Amino acid sequence: MFFKKYGDIVVSIFFMVISAIVIIMAMQLPKSQVMDIGPDFMPIVISSISFILAAVLLIQSLRRFKRNAAELEGKTLPQYDYKRVILSIILVLIYVCIMQPVGFIVSTLAYLILQMLVLAPEDKRSKKDIILLVVISIIFTLAVYFLFRYGFKILMPTGILAL
Amino acid sequence: MEALASLGAGFVSILTVKSILLMIAGVAIGIVFGSIPGLSASMAVALMLPLTFSMDASTGMNTLVAVYIGGISGGLISAILLNMPGTASSIATTFDGYPMAKNGEAMKALGLGIVFSALGSIFSFIILTFCAPLLADICLKFGPVENFGICFFALTMVAILSSGNMIRGLLAGLFGLMFTTIGMAPIDGTPRFTFGLSTLNAGFDTLPTLIGIFAISDILITAEEMVGGKAETIPVKKVKGFGFSMKEFVYHLPNWFRSSLIGTGIGILPGIGGSTSGMLAYMTAKNMSKHPEEFGKGCPDGIVATESANNATIGGAMIPLLVLGIPGDGVTAMMLGGFLIHGLSAGPLLFVKNSDVVYGIFAACILCTFIMLIVEWTCIKGFVQVLKVPKHILLPCILVLCCVGAYATNNRIFDVQSVLIFGVIGYLYHKFGLPTTPFVLCFLIGEMVETYLRRGIMQYDSFANFFTHPIFDAFFFIAIAVLVWSVYKEYKAYYGKKDANV
Repeated sequence: MFFKKYGDIVVSIFFMVISAIVIIMAMQLPKSQVMDIGPDFMPIVISSISFILAAVLLIQSLRRFKRNAAELEGKTLPQYDYKRVILSIILVLIYVCIMQPVGFIVSTLAYLILQMLVLAPEDKRSKKDIILLVVISIIFTLAVYFLFRYGFKILMPTGILAL
Repeated sequence: MEALASLGAGFVSILTVKSILLMIAGVAIGIVFGSIPGLSASMAVALMLPLTFSMDASTGMNTLVAVYIGGISGGLISAILLNMPGTASSIATTFDGYPMAKNGEAMKALGLGIVFSALGSIFSFIILTFCAPLLADICLKFGPVENFGICFFALTMVAILSSGNMIRGLLAGLFGLMFTTIGMAPIDGTPRFTFGLSTLNAGFDTLPTLIGIFAISDILITAEEMVGGKAETIPVKKVKGFGFSMKEFVYHLPNWFRSSLIGTGIGILPGIGGSTSGMLAYMTAKNMSKHPEEFGKGCPDGIVATESANNATIGGAMIPLLVLGIPGDGVTAMMLGGFLIHGLSAGPLLFVKNSDVVYGIFAACILCTFIMLIVEWTCIKGFVQVLKVPKHILLPCILVLCCVGAYATNNRIFDVQSVLIFGVIGYLYHKFGLPTTPFVLCFLIGEMVETYLRRGIMQYDSFANFFTHPIFDAFFFIAIAVLVWSVYKEYKAYYGKKDANV
C-alpha cells in the first residue's frame, strides 16, 4: 500500500536529495589544471539532470496524488512477507561480513542452512525436510570449496577451519 | 579464394583427436563458467591460460577460443531459466527468455538461444575469415571521440527502453551513472566520493553489481512472495528438436542478420563489448518489430536478437586482436598474452608469418561453434531440470556461487560485500516500480562515456572540435533525434492520457 501510494514521491525526494549531495560534494573536488573538464564535470552533469527529472516527477506525482489515492481506495493489494525479506537481508549481511574472519566453509554452511530455512514454505519445514536441507548444504559447501581450491586454484578465505 | 584454401588447410590441421578433445573440453568448461552467475567467460580463459603453456601454439590458442565461445554462449542458460544473466553479455536475454520459461516455453527459448548464438558466431567468423584485414582499417578510424559517440548513443537507449515511464527509467539509469563516478576518476586519478576509504578507490566492480542486482534481489523477491507458503513450480512443455519450426526459423532470419551485423560491428571496436551489443540489438529488434508491445513478455525475437549479437561480438573482437594486436576486452587481452607466450606477435605480420596458426584459429572458431551447438543441445533436457529444484534450495546455493565468483575476480572481500548493497538497491527498485535494466546499462557504459569524453577533449581541446568527426556526428545526431522523438512521444502520451481522464 505504502509503495503504491507514496512510491513516486519517495523516489523523487530521494533522488533530489542524493543529487544535491553529489553536486555539493563534486563542487569540492579539485578542478583540472590542464583542461576544461575535470573530475567534477561528470558527477555534476549527471546529478543536475537527475535533480531536474526528480523535481518534474515530484510535481507530476503531487498533482496526481489525490486521484491515485482515490483509485487505490478499496483495492486489495497482494500481501508481502517482509519478515522473510528482512531476515534474508540480515543473513546475507552477516554472511558477507564474517566470510573473511571465520572462513568460507563455516560461514557458508551456516548461511546456507539458515537461508534455506527462511525461504522454505511452511509445509516444507518438517524434520525430514530440515535434514535434507542440512545434507544439501554440507555437500554443496564442501563441493564448491574443493572444486575452487583444487580445480580452479582459487583459495577462498580459510578462516578458523583450514583444510 | 586464397582465404578459402587457407581455411581448408586450417581445418585439416586442427582435425586431430587431441585437439578436438581439447576443444570439446574447452567448450564444456566455458559453458559451465558462462552459465553460473558469478563466474564469467574471462575467468574461464584466465584459468585455462596456464594450461595451454605446454601445448603447441595452434592447439593452445584453439583451446582458448573454445573456452571463449562456450563462455559467451553459456550465459543464456541461466538468463532463461533463472532470470539471472550468467555473463554480462546475456543481460538482454533475460528480458524475454525468463518470461518464456515462465510460460512453460523454456525448451523453446533455450533452443532458439542456442541455435541463434551458434549462427551469430558463424556469421562473425565468416566475416572474420574473409574481411579481417579490411575491417581492421575501420577499427583504426575509431578514436576516443567516435567511441564517445557510440557510448552516448547506447546511453540514449535507456530513454527508449523506458518509454511509457521515461522519467522513472531515466532516474533509474542516472543512479547507475552516479555509482560509476565512485572511485578514482579516469585520466587524472582523483579519488571521488570515496569518503577516505581506500577500498572504494577502485570503484565498484561490474560483476558484483550484476550479481547483486539480479541474484540477491531475486532472493529477496522470492522471500516476500512466500506468503501462505506456496511453492510454485514452473511447468515445462515438451518439444521436439530445437522447439521451433522451419517457418519460425525463416521468420527470424532477417532479425538474425541485423543483430549479427550489430554484434560484429560493436565487437570490432575495442573496449565496448558484448553486453552493449546485445542490448543495442535488442532495442533495434524492438523498434523494427511489427509488434513491439510483445517484447519483454516472452517474445522469441528478443532472444534471437540478443544471442545472435553477443556471439557475433566474439568474431568482431578477434579482428582487432589478430590484425592489429589490440585487445578489445578482458578475454581478448588474455588471449593476446597467450600469443606472446607462444612466441607469436599479434599484429599485421601475424597473417604473413604465421598464417597457418591464424587460419587454424579461424577453423577452430567454426568447429567450436558446432561443438557448442551439439553439447548444449544434448544437455538441454538436463538444463531444464534446474526449474524443478525448489527455489528455497536453489537460490541460496546460487548466492554462494555468486559470492565465490565476486571474490575470485579480484580476491577482495569488499566485492562480496558490495554485492549486498546492489542487492538491496535492486530490491528497492522492484518495490518502487523502477526498472533495473537502465541502472545496469548505465553502470556498464557510464565509465566508458566519461573516459572517452575526457580523453577526446584532451586530444582535441574542446567539445566543439568533436563535430569535425563524421562518425561521431552520425552517432551523436541520431542519438539526439532519438531522444527528442521519445520525449515528444512521452509528452504526448502523458497529456493524451490526462485529457481522456478529465
